[in-house]
Amino acid sequence: MAELRLRDAAKFLRIVVTGIGVVSPVGRTAAAFWHSLMSNRDAAGSAAYGSVRQSCAPVAAAEFTGRIDDFCDLPAGKRKAIQKSLKLMNRETQMGVAAGQQALEDSGLLAAYDPGRTGICFGAENFAVMAEDFQAGVQACSGDNGFNSDRWGQDGIPEVAPLWLLKCLPNMPACHLAILNDLRGPGNTITQRDVAANMAVAEACRIIRDGDADAMVVGATGTALTCVNQCTIAVDLDIADSHNDVCRPFDKFRRGSVPGEGAGAIVLEEMHSALQRGASIYGEILGAASASCIGQDRSVACRNGLANAMRQTLQRADLLSEQIGHIHAHGLGTVTSDIAEAQAIRQVFGESADRIPVVVAKSHLGNAGAGSGILELIASLLALRNGHLFPVLNFNEPDPMCPVRPVRNCNDAAGSSFLNLNMFGRGLASCVAAGVFRG
Amino acid sequence: MTRRVVVTGIGCVTPIGSTIQQLQANLYAGRIGVGRLSLFDATHFPVRIAAEVRDWDVSHVGEDPTRWQKCPRQTTFAIGAGLQAARHAGIDDTQIDASRFGVYLGCGEPFEDFSSFTASIHNSRQGGIAKTDHSTLHALRLFDPDTNREHEPDMPAMHLAEILNAQGPVLNCISACVSSTQAIGEAARMIRQNEVDVMLCGGAHSTIHPFGVTGFQRLSALSTRNDNPQAAVRPFDADRDGFVIGEGAATFIIEELEHARRRGAEILGELTGYGSAQDAYRVTDSHPEGRGTTTALQRALASARLNPEDIDYINAHGTGTILNDRVETLAIKQAFGTHAWKVPVSSTKSMLGHATTACGAIELAVCLFSLQSGVIPPTVNHEKPDPQCDLDYVPRNARELHCRHVLSNNIGFGGQNAALIVSQFHESSNAASRRSRAA
Repeated sequence: MAELRLRDAAKFLRIVVTGIGVVSPVGRTAAAFWHSLMSNRDAAGSAAYGSVRQSCAPVAAAEFTGRIDDFCDLPAGKRKAIQKSLKLMNRETQMGVAAGQQALEDSGLLAAYDPGRTGICFGAENFAVMAEDFQAGVQACSGDNGFNSDRWGQDGIPEVAPLWLLKCLPNMPACHLAILNDLRGPGNTITQRDVAANMAVAEACRIIRDGDADAMVVGATGTALTCVNQCTIAVDLDIADSHNDVCRPFDKFRRGSVPGEGAGAIVLEEMHSALQRGASIYGEILGAASASCIGQDRSVACRNGLANAMRQTLQRADLLSEQIGHIHAHGLGTVTSDIAEAQAIRQVFGESADRIPVVVAKSHLGNAGAGSGILELIASLLALRNGHLFPVLNFNEPDPMCPVRPVRNCNDAAGSSFLNLNMFGRGLASCVAAGVFRG
Repeated sequence: MTRRVVVTGIGCVTPIGSTIQQLQANLYAGRIGVGRLSLFDATHFPVRIAAEVRDWDVSHVGEDPTRWQKCPRQTTFAIGAGLQAARHAGIDDTQIDASRFGVYLGCGEPFEDFSSFTASIHNSRQGGIAKTDHSTLHALRLFDPDTNREHEPDMPAMHLAEILNAQGPVLNCISACVSSTQAIGEAARMIRQNEVDVMLCGGAHSTIHPFGVTGFQRLSALSTRNDNPQAAVRPFDADRDGFVIGEGAATFIIEELEHARRRGAEILGELTGYGSAQDAYRVTDSHPEGRGTTTALQRALASARLNPEDIDYINAHGTGTILNDRVETLAIKQAFGTHAWKVPVSSTKSMLGHATTACGAIELAVCLFSLQSGVIPPTVNHEKPDPQCDLDYVPRNARELHCRHVLSNNIGFGGQNAALIVSQFHESSNAASRRSRAA
């Protein structure tokens, strides 16, 4: 019987957010991020990291150069440890570590925690092999007749840095954070592109609910700016086709997505342990669900998948649709994705979709791949805390095919709970419900 | 009520067998899958051996190879293993609710096309220095976008969801060599927490690629016994000198017990234990005292509500590197106490090579075979005892042994650890029988 009671109690374990960290094209602290979301300026125009693509205006997290000074204010020991590891980290890992460290410092968790009961779950993408890591090897195998691949085994391999492979493993942001902060609980990294962040939140909640950890660092990091990622998204997502165009979610004249980069992280804790240590609470995770989008017709598949994910989330969170204060849409800014998403919202919320405000951080940030979802969740958590929403940029002309209500100004109330939506076309839709914490 | 999770289907594609019957027979015969590396010209590479999947393509499971020609090897392996598992379990649309059927794989990082990548670097050199921007522009011309998209690690899971009409959650995780172990453990958690009823889970990978050999060779992880491939992997042997790169896939249909019963499925075993832990020590090597491995083993035992002496066989990670085998042995002693010297421990990597992210799934298949057949596979090439590795490693020959509960352990770069326990299926659960014994 004791076992049964424990299980029942686990069902009602509540999970709260106690820390936030951000590295984005519009600010590398949570405060700067929120300030920028409220200021009607997007990040387009800032310099691209690493690469350029002629047909779009990528946005980089330019303020984050990867130098130790760009990480948050850190205790001296931690600063030294990060600096020592920087050469082992690629760009995505550096951004992920910076965001994760910020979230941990913000939560105050490290002052008193049980390492064995603190875990980490990250979302990331395939890390591209970077040209600079191979240029010495290629050089060593090149002669008058160009690159000679027969020489790679002998002359190329010794020129590659001994620990190069470790830079390419997507689990590295989570591993570095675990090492830096002595997190010995469960650790995992979900590589599910644009939906990875929501999936990581869901997995971390399952782990806490199972009693396998009291606290989990959850983050995601990604970039659409490396060359391989650009090749991939060129087929998967329509990229805004004019060099200077911007992301216009749900606008009648939207022309595509804008590649970006960034990382975010939150600290999730079981409610009682958070309250016991007097943590400041941003909000509560109320439920999550995901559904695959499969079928011949991609638009129909996405619409139905997202609608299913939303319905299941509402059910698990025990929320009625009228309790939803706002929706954080995926808002990719492509013609088909926005239609599928808006119609899914309509399918679930019916006429109320005319009323429920919709926000899209991508109109400010561009699309940071796996990093987007967590930045969007954080933007909405900050909106809950501040009480009001931020505008969807570049939304001028409503599209009758997108029957939703994007927010145009800074006056709309955030409400007491929201849904965070993420999806990608050949694939998967996911939804996380979060709300204001009421003890 | 606690929801119990049982295995009802197994599929595999490995260097020593691409059906479960073939794999099982070859394991018990001690057949070694290591030979000369043939997938690319490795004549001048420092390492010229690998455990390759030979004489197999996706037509063996009835798929048209032209449909999969732009996919990396791991995808075809995953499709092969996935279809086998689904057919083995006899699942079809009429028996299951598609929205409660998901996929969770641990497939790895497929690498870019080596010749296009090196060519793009070579073409972009100016004064001997490769310019990343230029290299990107060259790469965009050289890479085939469709091939590139197929090289995302989540694609095998997506394809399987589509083929099998799984409309629930679809995920892929990468946590180095424990990826597929965690995919299975977390998939079981999703069933236990009542989010789904059925999951296809497991993993696939191939790092037999110039990038893979380069990376592992630079990490000094590989055996260089090029002249004697069959003797190269020597887990726990005093003369071991590293692992041999392998490849392959294994997947499982796991489902909630009552669900399996309702549709009259044969139950192959019960997933009773799962533990995950991080070393939080270094990205390069394991904690010298096997801290995380010990914890993962303890957590797996605790979650299965089993004592060390309940475990009849351990399938070790046993890569054959100096460090892994020593640390893993130490961790087994710490977690199992005096039972460590009684329980047989073997490494099937001695025959299969190291299938990196897929190894945990393949090794779980091996464990399920032992539950069913009453035979445990040997560690081949284990000839000269190492004083620091002093357990019963089942040298040379398979052994008859009735197994009630068996454990599969895995360890990964970055300090990742995970273990799974599978048990003979009995009407009363481990927890219930433990209670009745106590009473």
